Amino acid sequence: MTEKELEELRSRALKELEEVRDLRALEEVRVRYLGRKGLVTAVVKGIKDLPPEARRVIGRRANELKNELEDLIRRRREELLRAAEDQAPGVDLTLPGRPYELGKLHPVTQILQEICEIFLRLGFDIARGPEVETDYYNFEALNIPPDHPARDMQDTFYLENGLLLRTHTSPIQIRTMLSRQPPLRIIAPGKVYRCDSDVRHTPMFHQVEGLLVDREVSFAHLKGLLTYFAREIFGPRTRVRFRPSYFPFTEPSAEMDIQCVICRGRGCRLCGDTGWLEILGAGMVHPHVFQAVGYDPEEWRGLAFGLGVERITMLRFGIDDIRLFYENHLYFLEQF
Amino acid sequence: MRVPYNWLKELVATDLSAEEVAELLTLGGLEVEGVEEAYEALGPVVVAEIVRVEPHPEAERLRVCEVSDGKDLHTVVSGAPGLEAGLKVALALPGAVTFSGEKIGEVRIRGVLSRGMILSPYEAGVSEERDRILVLPREARPGEPFYRALGISEPILEVAVTPNRGDCLSVLGVAREVSALTGASLRLPEIPELPEGEEIRKLSEVEVLEPELCPRYAGRILRGVEIKPSPFWMAKRLWMCGLRPLNNLVDVTNYVLLELGQPLHAFDWEKIEGRKIIVRRAREGEEIRTLDGEVRRLTPDMLVIADQKQPVALAGIMGGAESGVGEGTREVFLEAAWFQPSSVRRTARRLRLSTESSYRFERGIDPEGVVRALDRAAALILETAGGEMVPGRWDLYLRPHRPPRISLRFSRLKGYLGLDLPPGETAEMLGRLGGRVELKEGGLDFQPPSYRHDLGLEEDLIEEIARIYGYDRLPVALPVGELSARPPEREDRLLARTRRVLEALGFYEIITYSFISPDHLSALELPSGDRRLAALRLSNPLSEAQSVMRTTLLPGLLDTARFNYFREVSRLKIFELGRVFFPGKEDLPEERLHLGFLIFGSARPGFWAEKVPPADVYDLKGILERLLAEWNLEGLAIRPGSEEVFLKGGWSFSLVASGRRVGWAGALKGYVRARFELPDPVWVAEIDLSALLDLPEKPKLYRKLPRYPATSRDLTLIISNSLAAGEILQFIRNLDIPYLERVEVVDVYRGEPIPKGEKSLTLRFLYRSPERTLKDEEVNRIQEEVSERIMAHFRARPR
Repeated sequence: MTEKELEELRSRALKELEEVRDLRALEEVRVRYLGRKGLVTAVVKGIKDLPPEARRVIGRRANELKNELEDLIRRRREELLRAAEDQAPGVDLTLPGRPYELGKLHPVTQILQEICEIFLRLGFDIARGPEVETDYYNFEALNIPPDHPARDMQDTFYLENGLLLRTHTSPIQIRTMLSRQPPLRIIAPGKVYRCDSDVRHTPMFHQVEGLLVDREVSFAHLKGLLTYFAREIFGPRTRVRFRPSYFPFTEPSAEMDIQCVICRGRGCRLCGDTGWLEILGAGMVHPHVFQAVGYDPEEWRGLAFGLGVERITMLRFGIDDIRLFYENHLYFLEQF
Repeated sequence: MRVPYNWLKELVATDLSAEEVAELLTLGGLEVEGVEEAYEALGPVVVAEIVRVEPHPEAERLRVCEVSDGKDLHTVVSGAPGLEAGLKVALALPGAVTFSGEKIGEVRIRGVLSRGMILSPYEAGVSEERDRILVLPREARPGEPFYRALGISEPILEVAVTPNRGDCLSVLGVAREVSALTGASLRLPEIPELPEGEEIRKLSEVEVLEPELCPRYAGRILRGVEIKPSPFWMAKRLWMCGLRPLNNLVDVTNYVLLELGQPLHAFDWEKIEGRKIIVRRAREGEEIRTLDGEVRRLTPDMLVIADQKQPVALAGIMGGAESGVGEGTREVFLEAAWFQPSSVRRTARRLRLSTESSYRFERGIDPEGVVRALDRAAALILETAGGEMVPGRWDLYLRPHRPPRISLRFSRLKGYLGLDLPPGETAEMLGRLGGRVELKEGGLDFQPPSYRHDLGLEEDLIEEIARIYGYDRLPVALPVGELSARPPEREDRLLARTRRVLEALGFYEIITYSFISPDHLSALELPSGDRRLAALRLSNPLSEAQSVMRTTLLPGLLDTARFNYFREVSRLKIFELGRVFFPGKEDLPEERLHLGFLIFGSARPGFWAEKVPPADVYDLKGILERLLAEWNLEGLAIRPGSEEVFLKGGWSFSLVASGRRVGWAGALKGYVRARFELPDPVWVAEIDLSALLDLPEKPKLYRKLPRYPATSRDLTLIISNSLAAGEILQFIRNLDIPYLERVEVVDVYRGEPIPKGEKSLTLRFLYRSPERTLKDEEVNRIQEEVSERIMAHFRARPR
C-alpha cells in the first residue's frame, strides 16, 4: 500500500459517502471501509507488516483516514436522521384540527361589560336595584307625577298587584341616593321593560344608568364624560354632538348623537339620512329629584345619563333586528 | 307632528331651506325626524306619455288609452276630455291614493281592464281644477315622479315634540322656535275685524260651573252658514298634515288647531237645548254618544259641555254626535276654551280616547291665545261658509293665567354650564323666547310667555339659555372630585366568576324574557304548593305567552333549546344568569338571582377522527364540580338525587348549602321533553345564586410544594353493584390513614369475568411524607392494613 493508493482510497470513500442518501447505504459504506473486513480496516491491520519507514508514514495516514471516515460517517448519520424527521409522514394537514371549545357571553353582556369597565376606570361603582318597582320610584320620585304626559314616553307593564316592571334603570338613582351620601359616582346596569314589540323594540332590554353627584358638577363635565365614553366604545375618532331634549328628571336635558358608524355622516338608511345616530339621553339632575331624596340642590349638583345597551350592541356589530338577541340562536351567538 | 315648510315660512320670516330648518330645530331641541315630500303621500304617480287613444268599445264617453311610463305600457280607461297621443300626463299606478282619497287599483271598466288613472290637477293635489287632465311639460321624463317634472315641492318637516313642549304642537309654535333660535321675526295670521257687541248675550247663555277645570271658555255664534267642501288651499294643507278634509266647518276647526295649536269645537246651535252652554262635571250614570259613534258612560270626575238637557261634548276631547255639525247645519256655536291638562288626560285615558284636541290640552295650550284662535276660526268660517256673525263674543276667563316670575342667578348659570356669559347676551337670549326680562344685581327675573308652561325653575331658564346658545358651543371638561370608590359587591364577583367558568367550559350565554308562558310553567307538572307555581301575573301582557314573571329559568332554557333544535342545532350547551320573581312578603316581590344551564347532544364538539358520545350524567356532574371548585364556598356540596318531579330519579343531583337545598341538576323526564319537542337526554340544572351570597369563601392558603416523591398503591375490589363508590371513599377518609395524600377512583368495571350483580372498583392511593422518602415496606404495611379494613367493612373481595 502506497501513500498514493491510500489517497485514492480516501477519495473513493469520500465520494461514496457523498452519494449516500439513506441510512442503509451509509451502513454499507461504513462496512465497506471500516467493517471488520473493510478496506481501511485491512490497511490498518496490514501496517505491522510494512517496512518500518512506510509503517510510520502509512500507519499515521491510515489511522488519520480511519478517524476521518468515522467522523464523517457519524456526521452523515446525524444529517440523515434529521432529514428523515423532515420527511412528510403522509398526514393531510388541510384537515381541521381537533376543536377546543370555548363558550361565549351573550353579545349584550359583552357590550354591557365593556360599558361598565369604562366607567369603573373613571371611578364609578356598580349599583343594582329591583326589576319590579313601585310607581313612586319609577315615576314620582323622578319628577313624573301621575296624569303627566311624560308617562306616555314609556309604555309600562303592570303587575296585577299594582306594581310595575321598571321602565328604565333610573329608579336605581333614587334608591342609591336615599341609601348613600354624596359625593357619589355610580352606574346601574340592568334589565328594563316596556310594552312594545317590533323590529326596533323588544319588551325587555338593557340599560346602563349613570349618576355623578358632587359640589362642582357642570354640563361641561357631562359633555366631557360622555364624549370620552363614546370614543372608548366607538373608536377615538368618533364625532359626537349634543342636542337639547326632555327627560322629566334632568334639567337641562340632552341627547347625544354619534356620527353614523355606517356612512360616516354622509347619510344612509341606518341614520335616516341625517348622518347622526342617537346613542343616549342625559342631563343635569333635576332639583325635584334631589328634593325627593333629601339632597340640598343648592349644595349638590349632579349629572345623569342612561343608555340602551342593545342599541349600542347593534351599532357595534351591525345587527339590524333587535329581536335576534332574545331568540338566542346558536348561529347568532357564536358570531360575537 | 307634520309641519309643511311653506306654511311655516308664512308665519316666520326665514330664508333657511327646509333641510336647514330641520337641522336648526333638531339642534335646538325640537327633533326633526325627517323631511318628507308631501306629494310622495300619493304613492306611485309618475310621468307617462299617451301612446294611443281609442274609443271604448262599450261606452261612448270613455276612451281607452295606451300610456307608457318609459318601461311598461299601461292600458287606462278614462273619461277625461283632452286625451291625445303624445301628451305627457300624471299616471297614478295601482297602489296610489289620489288627493281626494281614491285608491287606485286594477279595475275592469265595461269589460276593459284599466291599470291606473290619468289624474286631473285636483286629484294630483296641484290645483282645484277637476275637469281637465294635468298636462305635464313636454320635456318631462317618463317614469319620474310627476311633481319633479312640474318643478313643485311641498317639504314636510316630521317633528317629534317632547311632552313638555305642547306649545310646539302647531305651525305657529314651530315658527316661534325658529324665531327664538334665529331671531327671525314672526308673522301672525291677520284676522279681520269682527262684529263686536252684546247681541250674543241675548241669543245664548254660557255658564262655567267648574272654573278650576275650565279656566277660560270663549265662543261665537254664526248664522246662515253653508256646509260644503273646503277651498282647495285649506284642504291641501290638512291633507299635507295627514288629516282628511271633511267639510268647510270641521276643516276650519282643524286648520286653526294645526296653525295655532288651539283646539276648537263647532256645535250645531239649533240642536243645543235651551240655547245654553253649561261647563260642568258629568253626572253619575250619564252617557254621551261621541262623534265616532261610540256610546260612553261618564263619571263625575269627567268634565263635559252640556246643554240644558244632556252632555253635548267631552270637554277638550270629542264632541257629541247629536250636536255635531253636518249637512243640515245652519247655525254654529264655535267654542274655544282652556281646559285643565290633567283633567283632560285622566278622562281621555279612562275612556281610551286620544284625539288631536285632547293631546294638545293634555300638554297645555296658550291660555292667552284662546280668543285669537276663536276669532281666526270665526273669520275663516265667514270666508268659506258665508253667513253672518252674531255681534259679540263670550269670553269667561275665570282663572286668568299668571306667569311665574323666575329668578336666575348668573353665578348659578355659570356653575351649571361652566361658562361665563355676559348679562346682556343672557337677557337677549331669554327675550327671544317672548317673555319679559328684567336685569338686576347678579341676575335677572324672567316671566315666560303664556304658552310656555314648562318654564318654572331657574334650571329651566339655564336650559333655555344653553339651547339657544347651542349645546355644541358649550365647554367640555372631565369631572374632578374626591374619589368614593367601593369594592365590588359579592353578587358582581359571583356573576363574573360564574360567567368565566361556563364560558371556559364551552357554554353559550343566553338571555330570555323575564316573563314566560303559564303553559310552560304548568308543563313541568310541579306539585301543588310548589312556590314556583305562584308566579306574578302581568295585568297588561303583550301576549299570553309572555304573561307571568318567571319563577324558574327552566322554561326559558327549554324554549331556547327547542328554537335551536328546530334550526339545525344538534348539540347545545347554554346557560342563563337572571332573576326570578316570587310574590314578596313586603311590598316588593322577592327577586332572586339564578343560574340555569342546559345541554343536549354531546358535551364536547365532534371531530372527524373520533366519535363523541352524547353528554352523560358524569358530564353534568363534572360541570357542577368545576363550578363548585371555582366558587370555592364553604359548605356547598353536591348530593345524588333530587326531589324535582321533572328529573329522572336515578339521574339527578341536589346542590346543598349547609343542609339547605339551593339547586338541582339532572336529566329531564320524557313528558317535559315531549312538551318542548326535545331529544333524549336533555341535561338541565338551576342554582339559586342569591343563596350562595351568604356562604363564606374558603380561604386560599399556600401549601409547601412536595420535596419527596410520592408512592402509589392500587387496590381492586369486587363489590356489590349497589354499593356506591362514594361510601367507600368516605369510609377511607374517616380511617385517618398515615401519609395518605389522596385516593382516587381509577376504574370501574362490570362484566366478564366479574359475576353478575357485582362490579370491580380500582382505587389508587397516593402516599407521601413531607420529611423523607417513604420506604416500600412501610407503605406496603399501611396499604395492607387499609385493604383489610375495607374488605372487612364492605365484605369485598380482592380481584
